[in-house]
Amino acid sequence: GIPIRTTLDNSTTVQYAGLLHQLIMKARSTVRDIDPQNDLTFLRIRSKKHEIMVAPDKEYLLIVIQNPCE
Amino acid sequence: QVFDEEGKDVTPHPLFHSDPNTVVPRQGKLLASSAYFGATGSVFLSSFSMHQPSGANASLGSFSRTYGSSSTSISNASTTESILDEIVEPGSRGDTTVSLSDVQVRQEEIKEELTKADLDRRVDLYLTETETVWILDMPSVVVSVESEDAGRVLERNRIYVDICTNRPGNDRFVEKMMQTINGAAKNKEVQCDKIIMEDKGMMVTSWDLYDLFHISEIEPTSKAEGSRTTTGKSSKSHTTKEHDRTMSVSSDRGSPTSSTMILESAVLARIHEEEECHSEAVLTSENFQQDLFFMERILMENIFQPKLAAYRQFPVLTDPDVTSDTSGTVTAMKEAKQEKHDKEKKDKEEQKEAFIDPSILSGLNKTPEEIVPPRLERLWSYVCDLTNGHSVSSMVWSKVNPDLLAVGYGAFDFKEQKKGLACCWSLKNPMWPERIFQCEHGVTALDFSMASPNLLAVGMYNGSVAIYDVRSCNDAALLDSSESSNKHTGPVWQLRWVEQDRGATGDGKKERLICISADGRITEWLIQKRLDCTDLIKIKRTESEKKKLPGEKERKSEALISQQAAGMCFDFHPKDTNFYLAGTEEGHIHQCSCSCNEQFLKTYRGHKGPVYKVAWNPFSTDMFLSCSADWSIILWHQDSQTPILTFSSATAFVHDIMWSPKSAFIFAAANESRVEIWDLSVSTLNPVISLFANPRVKFTSVLFAKNTDCLLVGDSKGEVSVFELQNLAAPNSNK
Repeated sequence: GIPIRTTLDNSTTVQYAGLLHQLIMKARSTVRDIDPQNDLTFLRIRSKKHEIMVAPDKEYLLIVIQNPCE
Repeated sequence: QVFDEEGKDVTPHPLFHSDPNTVVPRQGKLLASSAYFGATGSVFLSSFSMHQPSGANASLGSFSRTYGSSSTSISNASTTESILDEIVEPGSRGDTTVSLSDVQVRQEEIKEELTKADLDRRVDLYLTETETVWILDMPSVVVSVESEDAGRVLERNRIYVDICTNRPGNDRFVEKMMQTINGAAKNKEVQCDKIIMEDKGMMVTSWDLYDLFHISEIEPTSKAEGSRTTTGKSSKSHTTKEHDRTMSVSSDRGSPTSSTMILESAVLARIHEEEECHSEAVLTSENFQQDLFFMERILMENIFQPKLAAYRQFPVLTDPDVTSDTSGTVTAMKEAKQEKHDKEKKDKEEQKEAFIDPSILSGLNKTPEEIVPPRLERLWSYVCDLTNGHSVSSMVWSKVNPDLLAVGYGAFDFKEQKKGLACCWSLKNPMWPERIFQCEHGVTALDFSMASPNLLAVGMYNGSVAIYDVRSCNDAALLDSSESSNKHTGPVWQLRWVEQDRGATGDGKKERLICISADGRITEWLIQKRLDCTDLIKIKRTESEKKKLPGEKERKSEALISQQAAGMCFDFHPKDTNFYLAGTEEGHIHQCSCSCNEQFLKTYRGHKGPVYKVAWNPFSTDMFLSCSADWSIILWHQDSQTPILTFSSATAFVHDIMWSPKSAFIFAAANESRVEIWDLSVSTLNPVISLFANPRVKFTSVLFAKNTDCLLVGDSKGEVSVFELQNLAAPNSNK
C-alpha cells in the first residue's frame, strides 16, 4: 500500500507497509474462513525488540511500532 | 386463396374461426388478410372480386360448417381476442352490418379491461369440443378378411402377384438406368481470429462466497454508478477486499450482468478516481478516529501495564528479554486475583478485554517473611497539560463504571479565580482525559448521578450548578443554573445526588441533587427544563454556648453581618436518608432532617474553624468524622454532643477526609503537606501511613477506590496521583 502519513523514514515505512499488508490479508483470511461473519479488528505482534500493532480497516492500515519501556 | 384446376376453392382455412354471428367480415381489410393468408394483395383482390358472390357464400358456408359447434365465450379468453382481432380484419366480406359488429367487438374489447373486481369475480369457463380436425390421415394398409372390401382387396392382391411373376422376361417391363448429376464440389477456406485461451486459478474461500451474497443483499444500489469499467484494470494493488473479489469474479464468471459485478466494478472505478483525495478522507474518517483511539488505549496499556496490574492486583507482567530488574518495586508477596473484567463502558463501545491472561508471569519475588511497614506506593498520576496550574478541588467515581473518575479543577486561593475545568479520566488512559468540560468559574464540587449515570453535576465557585452529559464530547452543559433566580450567591462547596425514599408519595427511590453553599442554604435542585432549586434549609447562625448570656436574645448580642452561616459540607446518613449533617464555616456541625426545615435537630460544637468535611462511617453508622481548618479531625458519636476522639497530627489545615470503603477503622486525611492514613485499630494518636508531598504542592483531596486498595490524592498542581495501599492490616468486622 501507499503510506499516507508516517513518522518514520520512507524506506522503513514502505517496507513495513508492504510486509504487514500481506500478513493482514492472511490473518483476515484465516479469521474469516473459520467464521465468515467474523472479521479481523486488531493484530499485535510482540517481538524481542518491538511491539507492532496493526489496526486494519477497509481502506487503510494503521500501524504502530512501540518500544517496550519496561 | 388457392384454387385448383377446376376452380374449386381449396384455400387452407384457418383452424379457428370466430363466431359467425359476431364476426362480420369487412371488405376494407382485404389487404391485411392477404398478409394473413400469404397471397399477394393484387392477386388476391382480383381473384376475390371474381369470386365474390360465390366466395362469400362458400366462405360463409364454410365458416358455418367448420365451426358450427365452436362457441367460445369471448369475455374470458384474452388470447382468443387477439386472434379475433386478426380475423375480424381479414375476414372481410361486404356486409352492411359490418360497422356494427365491429363496434360490437370493439366494445367488448373495451369492456374487457379487467378491473380488480373482475379478478375476484367468479369466472365461468366453458369447455367445448371443437369439431375433429383431420391433420393427417393415413389409412391402414391392412384390411380385415371379413370386411366388405375384402374380396376386392384379395382380387387386387392376386393381380399384383401375377404381375410380379410375369415381370421378368416380359416385354412390358423394361429396365432403365438413370444417372444422378453430382454437383461439382468446391473447397472454401475461412479464417477466423485466434481464440485466445487463458488459464486462471483462484482460491475461493468461504468468506469470499459469504461476502458476495451479502454485499448484493445489503447494498444493491448504494454504490452503483453509471460508468462500468472493464474488469481488466488491475494495475494498482489495493488493500481492499472488493478488489480481490472483483478479480475473482471476473475470472470465474463470463457474463457481466449480475448486480454484484456492477457494484464491484463501480467500486473499482470509484477507487481509481478518488485516489488523490483518498488520504484526506481516510485521515478524517470516523473509523480512523476510532482506530486511533483504540490504538492509543493499547499503547497506554502497554506503557502502564505494571502499574495498572498493581492497581487491579494482578501479577505484574514483565518481559523476560527486556528487563533484568523484574518487578523491583514489589517487596512483598502479592496474592494474584485472577478476575476477568469485562469492561463495558456506558458511553463507549470497547472491543478488547483488558488484561489478557498473561502468558509470561513475572517471577514473584518471595522475600523472606519480614514485617514490612504499611506504605503508600505511587502508581501513576493523572496529569496532563490542561490541568497543570489548576488545583484539584474534588474527585468522584462514576457510580456505574468503577474505572471512570471525574475530577474538578478550580483555583486554590480565593484571590486568583480563573476558569475551571471538569475532566473525566479513565483508567485506561492516564495521559489524557476522556472528557474535558470547560467551565466559566472554578469547579468546587462534583458528583455523578446514580439514576442516570451519564449525568455529572458540577458546582462552581460563583454559586451556579451545571449538569453535563458525559456521553457526549460536547463542552456545553446540559443544564445550567445561571438563569435560576434562586441560585446560590456563594460558592457551592458540596454537591451530591441523594437517593431518597419517598414513602409518602409512593414513588420509590428518587434521586435529588442537593448542594450546600457559602450563602448558608442547602438547596435541592429540580431537573426540569431549567434548573431550579428549592431550599431545604437555611443555616442560621448559632451562637456558641460561651457567649450566650442569660436573658438576652441571641440576635442582639452580636452585630451579625448575615443571619446565615456559610455551609461548607454535608453528608447524608447512609442508612436513613432523612438525616444529614451539615458543617458550617463557624465550626458547628448541625444535624438536620429533611422533613423539618426550620430547625436543627442537634448541633455539635467542637471545631474552632470551618468544617471542611463531614463523613459518616459507612460501617458503624453512628459515628462520623469531621475535619476542619483548625488542624484537627474529630470523631463524633451521633448521640453525644462532645467529641469522642480528636486527631491532630500536623499544624496544617485538613482539607479532606474519607472513610475507607473496606474497613471501619481506616480513613484517609489530606493535610496540606501530607496524606495520612489513620487506622483506629492500630493507633489513635498517629497515622499509620504518612506521605509527604513535594514542597510546593499541597494535597487537597482524597478518594478511596472501591474495587481495589488504592487511594487517589489530588493536589494543588492539578495532579491526581494514584497510590496503592500496601500492607495495611486486614479489615476486621464491624466494631
